[in-house]
Amino acid sequence: MRVLLATLASALLLSGPVAATPAKEAPWLPDAAAYRLTLFLGNLAPLPWDDIRTAWTEPYRGSEFSVGALAWLDRESKIEPDALMDAMMREDRQAVFAEATRLIALRIEEELDRSLAAEESATAQQAVRTARELYRAFEDGVAAADSEAARRIGLAWLELNSSTGFSGVLGAGSTSADRETMEAARTVISSYLAENYLLDSFAPRRALSALPETAVLSGRAIEVPPSLPPGSDIFDQDPLPLLVLNFEEQDIDETDLPLVAFGDMLFDSAQIFGSPARDLGITCSTCHNRSDINQRLFVPGASHQPGAIDVDGAFFNPIFNDRRDDPLDIPSLRGLRFTGPYGRDGRFASLRDFTRNVIVNEFGGDEPTPFMLDALVAYMLEFDFLPNSMLTTDGRLTDAAPEVARRGEEIFNQPFAGLGDRSCASCHVPDANFLDRQAHDIGSVAPAYEGARAGALDTPTLLGTAYTAPYFHDGSLPTLAAVVDWFDETKALGLTEEDRASLTAYLETVGAADEPYEAFDTENTAFRLAFAELTTFASTLDTLLPRRDAEHILLLTDTVAADLSADASTMSNLAARPEVYALAERLAAVGAAVRADDWATAEASWTAFKSEAAAIEERAF
Amino acid sequence: MPVQLTRRTILTLVGAGAVSLATPLAAQDTALRLAFIPQENPEKLLGDIEAITGWLASEIGVPVEGFVTIDHAAAVEALRNGDADISFMGALPFVLAEAEIGAVPLLSEVYRDAPNYTGRIFVRRDSGIGALADLRGRDIAFADPISESGYLYPLAEFVEAGLVKGPGAAEEFFGRVFFAGGYQQAMQAMAEGLVDAAGASQYADLLLTPQQQAEVTWIAESAPIPSHLVIARPGLDAALRDRFVDAMLRLNEPEHRNKLRYLYGPDGYIRADGAAYDGVRDMARRYGLLE
Repeated sequence: MRVLLATLASALLLSGPVAATPAKEAPWLPDAAAYRLTLFLGNLAPLPWDDIRTAWTEPYRGSEFSVGALAWLDRESKIEPDALMDAMMREDRQAVFAEATRLIALRIEEELDRSLAAEESATAQQAVRTARELYRAFEDGVAAADSEAARRIGLAWLELNSSTGFSGVLGAGSTSADRETMEAARTVISSYLAENYLLDSFAPRRALSALPETAVLSGRAIEVPPSLPPGSDIFDQDPLPLLVLNFEEQDIDETDLPLVAFGDMLFDSAQIFGSPARDLGITCSTCHNRSDINQRLFVPGASHQPGAIDVDGAFFNPIFNDRRDDPLDIPSLRGLRFTGPYGRDGRFASLRDFTRNVIVNEFGGDEPTPFMLDALVAYMLEFDFLPNSMLTTDGRLTDAAPEVARRGEEIFNQPFAGLGDRSCASCHVPDANFLDRQAHDIGSVAPAYEGARAGALDTPTLLGTAYTAPYFHDGSLPTLAAVVDWFDETKALGLTEEDRASLTAYLETVGAADEPYEAFDTENTAFRLAFAELTTFASTLDTLLPRRDAEHILLLTDTVAADLSADASTMSNLAARPEVYALAERLAAVGAAVRADDWATAEASWTAFKSEAAAIEERAF
Repeated sequence: MPVQLTRRTILTLVGAGAVSLATPLAAQDTALRLAFIPQENPEKLLGDIEAITGWLASEIGVPVEGFVTIDHAAAVEALRNGDADISFMGALPFVLAEAEIGAVPLLSEVYRDAPNYTGRIFVRRDSGIGALADLRGRDIAFADPISESGYLYPLAEFVEAGLVKGPGAAEEFFGRVFFAGGYQQAMQAMAEGLVDAAGASQYADLLLTPQQQAEVTWIAESAPIPSHLVIARPGLDAALRDRFVDAMLRLNEPEHRNKLRYLYGPDGYIRADGAAYDGVRDMARRYGLLE
C-alpha cells in the first residue's frame, strides 16, 4: 500500500496531447533536470543564458530536491563539470549541448559502474534506479528516433534490475546477483550511450533535443514530441476559482445554448492551437482557468513568476517571436463583456479580433472558422463578475462593508494633485465596474528606449481582485497594500499610514466576493464537475450532426473523448472508471464514423452515448 | 571537487536536526527512533520526517528521531540491533521480522476506508489477453520478490488457477519473469509493451499517465492483503509504545489529518490486529520464506 503515497504525490509523468487533467510529474534528479532545462532554454531566442546557468546552480522551481545540479554532482558524483561550466561561460550553445550530453551519459555510466561494483543487492538496485532516472533525460529522444533501440534498452533496464539480486529480510527471500546477466544488460545500455551520447563531438544542432547522434547524422526527419521542462506547472490551481456564467444564474441550461456550449468546449480544447500548445494539452482555460487566472501556471523561460507567461516569445509560435522577454501577468476574464478594449494596452477594440490573435498569432493555430470565433465569443461574453454583497451594482459600499473600508472609499474618491487633480475613482469608475475603458501611462512600465511613449495600459477593473494577486501588468506588486504604497510613493499622494490601511481595506472590499472558489464535497467532486461539463459540450452534437458539420464535429469529438478518458483518472470511484472509458469510446466512435462519412453509425453512437451518459450520471459517483 | 557529502551524511544531519527540534519539549532522556522505508525521492522523505518527528515529539514528550533505511531488510536489521525502536513496514517483511526477532505490530494503515487492498494482474486492453492462461509463454513484470501485492499474491492467482505449479516454478509457465524494482516500473514496462503483463497493487494503474490508464485493464485480482503497518522492536518500553500509538491515532482527527501526507499518505491508522496477518504468514510459508 506504500505505493499509494507515490500514486497521489509524485510518480506520474506529465501527460501529452489529450491531458485535460495532467498528472503531476515525477521528480527529476537534479542533473537530469538541468539537462532537460538546458535543452528547452537552448531553443529559445534570444537564448536566456542566465536561466541556463541558473538551471545548473539552483534546484528547478518546485523541485523536491533541495540542491541544484552542480551541488548534487559535487555530492553524488566524481565527474567534473568544468568543461560544461566553461562552455556556459563562453555562451557557446553547441558546446553547452555537447558537454551537458556527455555529462549525463557519464553519470549513467558512473551509476552503472556502482551497481556492478556493489556487494549488497540493495546498493546495486539503488544505483540501477538512479541510472535509469538519469536515462530519462534521453529517453524520449531514443523513442522518437528508434523504437527498436528504445525497446532493447527498456528490456535491458528490466534485466539489469532483476539480476542485481534481492536482500530479502533477515536472509528470507534473498537471491544473489547474476553478474553475467548484469554485465550483458549493462553492455546493451552502455554501447548505445557510447555510440550516441558519449562522443567527443556532436553534429551541429539547429534545435536542441535528446535525439541520439546516429539519428541526427542519418538526416532523417524525426518528430520529437514537444515536452515541457522540469519545473513547468500547467495544473489547475487549488482552490479552483468559481465560474459565474450569466445564463446559469438565470437558470438557463447550457445544453439549450449550442453556440455557447460549443464555445465552452473550444475554450477547453487544445485542438484549436498549433504545436507545441496543442501537443502539450494547453488550452484557453489552462491560463484563464474558470474565467479567472491560473495563478500557478509556470513555464521556465516563458514565465518570470507563477501566473505569468510570455506568449509572444520563441516557444509557442516562433514566427510571432517579438524577441523580448516580456511575460505578462495573466489577466482575469471575469466580466469580459464590460472590460473592453482588450489586450493589456487596449490595442484590440474587438474581443473577436483579440481571440483570433491569441489562436493564430500567439499559439500558432489554424485560422478559426467564423463559427468557432462566434462560439468562443458567445461563451466568453457570459463570464460574469463574482457577486459581492458588500458592493452595490453601481459600485457603492453596502452596510455589510467594514467601517474602515468606508474611510478608504472617501480617499478613493478624493482628488490628488499627484494624479493631476483626479482621484482613483476617475479611472476606476465605481458605477462603471471600476473601469473607464481607456489606457493610461501611469509610469509603471519602464521605457523600452529613450523617448519611448508606449507605457499606456488598459485600466483594469478592481472587481474580484482580492483573489488575483500579484498586481500590475507584470505582476510586480504582491498585494493590494503594495499597490496603494506604489501610488502613494510615485504620485506623492501624501497618505498617512492610516489612510493607506483604509484605502487598502476599501480595495480589498471592492475586490472581494461572497464565494470566490468552487466548493467541492462528496457530491460535487472535481470529476463530477468535469463530467457534467464534458457531457454538456457533447450535447452540441444534437445541433451539429443534423447539419452534417464534419469539421466542427471532429473538433468536438477529438477534444471531448480524449478529455473524458483522461479525466476518468481523477475519479474517486475507481470501480466506475471502465464505464467512463467506454463512454469516451462511444464519442470517439462518432468521430470515426464522421471521418468515414457514415452518418447513420455516427448518429447511432451518439444516441448510445446519451443514454449511457445518463445512466453513469445516476450511479457512478 | 573538495566536498564529498554522501547521502548517508545528510541523513545523519537531518536525524540530528529532528532531535534538536524535539529536545526543548522532552520531559525525559529516552528518545524514540523511527525507521522510514525510502520512496522514490529520499530528499522529500527527509523533509517529511522532520515534520512528523517534530510533531510526534511534542505529542509524546520525548525526543523523536527519524532516519531512512535503504530498504525493508535494513529497517528490520535496525529493529533487531536496537538502532530503531519503531519502523514503517510492509506486511510480508513484518511477518518475517515477527518470526525472527519478535517484532510487534502496532498500527495498520487505512486507505480508501479499508485496512487491506489487493494485487492485480494488469494487461494492455489491446493485447487480446483476457485470462491468466493467455499469459502462457509471455513475459511478465512484478515489483520485487518480497512485495505482497507486487509479487506473492498476484503469482498465487496463477498457482490457484493451476497454471503455475508453485512458487519458484513461475518461469516454467511464463516466457520471462522480471522484477522491475517497484509497482511503477512494472506498470510502465507493461504499458509500454516491453512485457505483456504486470503484477502490482490494485491502485498501481494510477501510477500511469491518464492516457495509459485508459489503455490498461486487469484480468485477475488477489484475495485481500492486509495493509502496510507500523511495528516496534520487542522490548520497547510499553508505556512509551502506548504513547506513540495514541499520538499516531490522533492523526485520524480532522485537525491532524494533513500530517498524514508526511507518512506515506494513508487515510489514517487503526490499531493493528496481529491475526489479520495470518494470510500473509500462510503465504510466506507457501513461498518457503517462513517455517
